Amino acid sequence: MKSLMEFIGIEPERYQVAWISGAEGIKFQETMAKLVKDVKQMGPNRKLRDAQ
Amino acid sequence: MKEITEKTQTIAARLFDEGKIDIFIAWEQGELDFQVKSYVARSKEDVKKIIFSEYAIYNVANSLLKFRDGHERIGIAVKGCDSRGIVRLLEDLQIKRERLYIVGIPCPGLKDPLAAARNYGGFSKKTESDGLARKCLECVQPNPVIYDEIIGPAQSPRQQGERFARVKELEQMSPDQRYEFWEQTLSACIRCYACRQVCVACDCRTCIFDEMKPQWVGRENSTTDNMMYHLVKHAHMAGRCIECGECERVCPVNIPLMLLNQKLIKDVGAFFGGPEAGLQYVEGAKPPLSVYRLDDPDSFL
Repeated sequence: MKSLMEFIGIEPERYQVAWISGAEGIKFQETMAKLVKDVKQMGPNRKLRDAQ
Repeated sequence: MKEITEKTQTIAARLFDEGKIDIFIAWEQGELDFQVKSYVARSKEDVKKIIFSEYAIYNVANSLLKFRDGHERIGIAVKGCDSRGIVRLLEDLQIKRERLYIVGIPCPGLKDPLAAARNYGGFSKKTESDGLARKCLECVQPNPVIYDEIIGPAQSPRQQGERFARVKELEQMSPDQRYEFWEQTLSACIRCYACRQVCVACDCRTCIFDEMKPQWVGRENSTTDNMMYHLVKHAHMAGRCIECGECERVCPVNIPLMLLNQKLIKDVGAFFGGPEAGLQYVEGAKPPLSVYRLDDPDSFL
């Protein structure tokens, strides 16, 4: 899926997958913080949407 | 081709005589040379209508789906790609092996009827297409992989040069270039769903794209919804696409759909290994994405 998204032209930073158990609160927090940081760096997404 | 037609007819007639089958699925001639359709012979009298010509490109494995709920014993004539389709259906438990009597035809490579139809228009009234169909030029398995009886000598694969060359070319581009490419190609899609209808791997009874409540994928004919449709459809094809190339062939707006499929074939091969979809039939075997294993690679997600 990830490689298909990349193939279609979505930046890999925007689509991240991680295995996090319900008991791993800290890992979840870290992953989300990293995702938000990555996406903020990328700026708003203009792909896969009609409203430009 | 004539020889194959005759042999197929003889075999079908013999099977009807022996009472081994109730129907025989093959091809029949349409009005013009290049119009060859899937055909179901229901008795010995029908057998003479069966043909195999250079335009018998349609994947007849797809016709089996119409009989999946019945109890008929089915004889079927298959080319290499069709036989992979049958393996696909057997793996998905859509039809029982006992119901099938498979007559294999090692395929010499066929022509594209739609290309011929395009040539037919205008003043020239030419009923020839130019050379082999694209899917046949990239064929890796012209010989049937599963059969009870085979007609003629084995053919060698026609695929030349580097496999997945088109995919690799696209992978070299930057994400923006790739997006632009797909935006242009997929915005042409008219959502006729011909690619879905003709697909052997698309054997769900209820299709996510037909569902209205809830409507999973927008039906609007916009670039966004088109991209969603193709992404979702092809993601489902991962590990199941038998590379028969029918989707790309029937596409009325010439979207290179096999690019997406080949990308997934390449990825599934890289992540899961093993033979490509439909290349061998092992009873009870499942395609890699139909089962969950603890050692499945995370990177495929």
